[in-house]
Amino acid sequence: MTGRWRAAGLAAAIVAGVGSIAMLAAGANPIDGFAQLFGGALGDVDELAETLVQTTALLFPALGVAIAFRAGLFNIGAEGQLVMGGLAAGSIGAVLTLPGYVSIPLLLMAGALAGGGWGAFAGFLRARFAANEVITTLMLNVVATLFASYLVGGPLKSPAATASETAILPHASWLPELVRDTRLTLALPIALLVALGLRYLLDRTVFGYELRAVGEAPKAARRAGIAPGRIAIAALGLSGAIAGMGGATIVLGILHRFNVALSPGYGFIAIAVALVGNCDPIAIVAAAFAFGILQNGALAMQAGAGVPRDIVAVVEGLVIFVLAGRQYLTRTVAQ
Amino acid sequence: MSGELLALFTLTLVKATPLIYAALGGVVGERAGVVNIGLEGMLAGGAFTAVAVSYKTGSAPLAALAGVACGAALGFLLGVAATRWRVDQIVAGTGLNLLALGGAAYALVLVFGRPGASFAVPALGLRGEATLIALALVAALVIDRVLAVTSWGLHVRAAGENPRALDIAGIDPLRIRVQALVLGGALAGLGGVFLSIGELDLYSDGMTAGRGFIALAAVIFGRWTPLGATGAALFFGFFAALQFTLQQSGIPSELMQALPYLAALAALAGFAGRARAPAADGIPYARE
Amino acid sequence: MHALVGENGAGKSTLANVAFGGLHPDAGTIERTGTIGLVHQHFELAERLRVWENVLLGREPCRFWTIDREQAHARVRELATRHGLEVDPDAAVETLPVAVRQRVELLRELERDPTVLLLDEPTATLAPAETEALFTTLTQLAERGIAILIITHKLADVVRFTQRVTVMRAGRIVARMETAQTTLDEIAHAMVGGDLPQVAARTATTPAPYLSFQDLEVRSGEIVGIAGVEGNGQTALFDAIAQIVPDAGIIPQDRQREALVLGWSIADNVALGRQRTRYRRGIVFDRKTARSDAISIIERFDVRPRSVDAPIGTLSGGNQQKIVVGRALEGRPRFVLAYQPTRGIDIGAAAIVQSRLIEARNAGCAILLISFDLDEIFVLADRIAVMYSGRLGPLFPRDSIDRARIGALMTGAT
Repeated sequence: MTGRWRAAGLAAAIVAGVGSIAMLAAGANPIDGFAQLFGGALGDVDELAETLVQTTALLFPALGVAIAFRAGLFNIGAEGQLVMGGLAAGSIGAVLTLPGYVSIPLLLMAGALAGGGWGAFAGFLRARFAANEVITTLMLNVVATLFASYLVGGPLKSPAATASETAILPHASWLPELVRDTRLTLALPIALLVALGLRYLLDRTVFGYELRAVGEAPKAARRAGIAPGRIAIAALGLSGAIAGMGGATIVLGILHRFNVALSPGYGFIAIAVALVGNCDPIAIVAAAFAFGILQNGALAMQAGAGVPRDIVAVVEGLVIFVLAGRQYLTRTVAQ
Repeated sequence: MSGELLALFTLTLVKATPLIYAALGGVVGERAGVVNIGLEGMLAGGAFTAVAVSYKTGSAPLAALAGVACGAALGFLLGVAATRWRVDQIVAGTGLNLLALGGAAYALVLVFGRPGASFAVPALGLRGEATLIALALVAALVIDRVLAVTSWGLHVRAAGENPRALDIAGIDPLRIRVQALVLGGALAGLGGVFLSIGELDLYSDGMTAGRGFIALAAVIFGRWTPLGATGAALFFGFFAALQFTLQQSGIPSELMQALPYLAALAALAGFAGRARAPAADGIPYARE
Repeated sequence: MHALVGENGAGKSTLANVAFGGLHPDAGTIERTGTIGLVHQHFELAERLRVWENVLLGREPCRFWTIDREQAHARVRELATRHGLEVDPDAAVETLPVAVRQRVELLRELERDPTVLLLDEPTATLAPAETEALFTTLTQLAERGIAILIITHKLADVVRFTQRVTVMRAGRIVARMETAQTTLDEIAHAMVGGDLPQVAARTATTPAPYLSFQDLEVRSGEIVGIAGVEGNGQTALFDAIAQIVPDAGIIPQDRQREALVLGWSIADNVALGRQRTRYRRGIVFDRKTARSDAISIIERFDVRPRSVDAPIGTLSGGNQQKIVVGRALEGRPRFVLAYQPTRGIDIGAAAIVQSRLIEARNAGCAILLISFDLDEIFVLADRIAVMYSGRLGPLFPRDSIDRARIGALMTGAT
């Protein structure tokens, strides 16, 4: 146990060390940089709210990635599923004039369906043609972005907009704010509900049982009459649906329209979040909060300490390495 | 007409070259038993390093070497993580991509003082570009022979088929896997060099545009052989070239840009099941 | 030729690993002179590589960096002729039958001129004639001065071919004997540390046709045994029948991969296979029923530890197999399909597994048993057929055929 804690400490030290070196390279004082980072992420209510906005944006795709992981599948396509979900919510939402309690659930479902379909397609390619989902989901990311960019650049482009984006959604379809004058909306409790639901699904239902069986012992699962193809389609479909709903919440809660640039790579960072959370839905909530701090604090760091915010991607990549290699660290520290 | 055909042919070669380098890198890694999701990051690392070194030194050949070295270093990092540290290969590759793409974006601001894209830097020029294109085809032949007839090639194939058999023979399969990834990284790095100072003269964020992933599809489509993967890369390069040739035809440019990806998806769906990956491909090996 | 015998889990393989150098001893010393060659139970060959590539791996003759293929061929041919182990150097290993693969592995070790040759369960998947041929080769090697150590639990082979025996039990050496001065029973007694456990007696049943598949007929109240050397189509047969009878009780060959989810509890594993029927309430997984069924299996099969929540991966092979068999027999299926049900488990667990299978047969269950182990076939089966090269031979009542005839059929005699 102490070995594990020491390894965790060592992991944190590695990440902080490399982060500091990167800051020094940018000519910034690391202590100042980290102070800006945490101050900017947690300093007051508005900043905390923005950190939670980032947490929410990461939480949806991370939960999606995790459910696929539990089925033994790598969904590297959360980014594309997010875009498809946002696109569906944005393009339908722009023309939908209904009261919020009807339109919001409807648009969230539309986002889930679009993202889910995108994910299920990769599942179908795997089930039907044995096409590796790692590569198909990667390809589908690019295709999704190009497809969305075509639609909002042409057929769906708002005549009023200068950028490639849809028209602004009617006010009724905006997600209600939780904290006044921040971007923190109902999206956060929805994401938390999804996490709870996933936990229940995995631990208590027959579907979750079969999904975990395929993930942990594919041959035994097949002997037990579980069709791996069916699970692949269902797991990637569900995975995409959760990511897609996340895309819809960004449209309904933050942008209030669809724009191709709605995600600065949330779908990729989500992989790190899912790993840090050990693919357990509840632990992922905590992991998403930690990454939310990084995401939001980086902006403050850039403004305050002059460190380019791309440092966050470096740190996140490093976190993946260090965390995925933690068994090695634990062993090495123990010796 | 023949002029257009010639232009299409040339453009196919240009568009295929980075894919060939990256796909060859992928083949070497997978034949040794490591799936290299990090090719995209290695392309970006090679591309950026070349531009940065060219900017600082003014020497394009030196810059090309630096790009290759950066790719090799990233390959080493991935190799060590995926063997000694026993990080899952897909996870390590994904981490490497974040690290390399993010690192390039970060260093871009540090070196050029602005985000997004670098300034124009001294490039390899037409002759250098042509050399790198020819070298890609030569590399395919060389790697094919290296795997088939050399001692090291046999060890690579054994590491990808049954690493324990290699271990019993007194050769550390993890070392062979790391070596294969270093070579793979160097090749992908050279692909990046071609992108930034061969075809163009600058680096911009996102310029690799998923080529590393297309290269992975080319590895599978090419049945894990150097020549097959090169053929697949040329096939995808053709669709990428077609996009420019058909630009005036009124077909949406996004559809044209998506063509290589759609072709890769179709190829994967159509051919994936027909060839077998090396038996130990993607499976970590633990020494006792 | 020296035999190291003992039950599964007695410590033979551990001792071998320590001797071979893969493991470090916690205490004590190993004295070695010369080099040791190890022939693995599950061959460690790169299957898509050629024979010569496998044999010479790491020692391939080179000119500059390229391999001298002609010299490599010549070396393998010479080695094969010298030891009477005929094999085509250019064949891909994956195309070779099991007995030939073993020759390749043997050649690889002989190439290094070992002073000691260690073979781990070398006859586990060989037909009687192939076993005979192997021991002829090994005897010749021994005459040439190579010390041969065989790890095995097939005592008949030990008595016939070896000169000395060492018996291990529970991690200790309990007996050292000259083969000529001992008997099979004495060795067995030392191995188990007491009398051999008894297997349940079979009672008279009135067999009625239950399943017929091509020429194969399995009747209720009987066990049909399919004998044969590994790799003659048994797996395809198993898969085909599992598909035809989806509600059969299934005991797959590879316990750890095909039968269990090692990270799960015993209870969750017990539900595997009937998660949509017996263990489903609406969409919810009925863990309560799984737990109570697990408790009853643990009782009937004497599983240790007696905890339904223990991760099954922490159990010994024998106890894991008890759960697999208990699950297959749970709910009294009319048909059970068993593939090597006692593979790699200790004698006590094997006796329990065999007894429960015979009891199920006595109660009217139809059982199809596929095994590479003739001993097991003769303990369990009422009727026997031999599978060779993908074809199933005729069924013989057990009392109408002897082992020699079955053994001949296993290698393709007609």
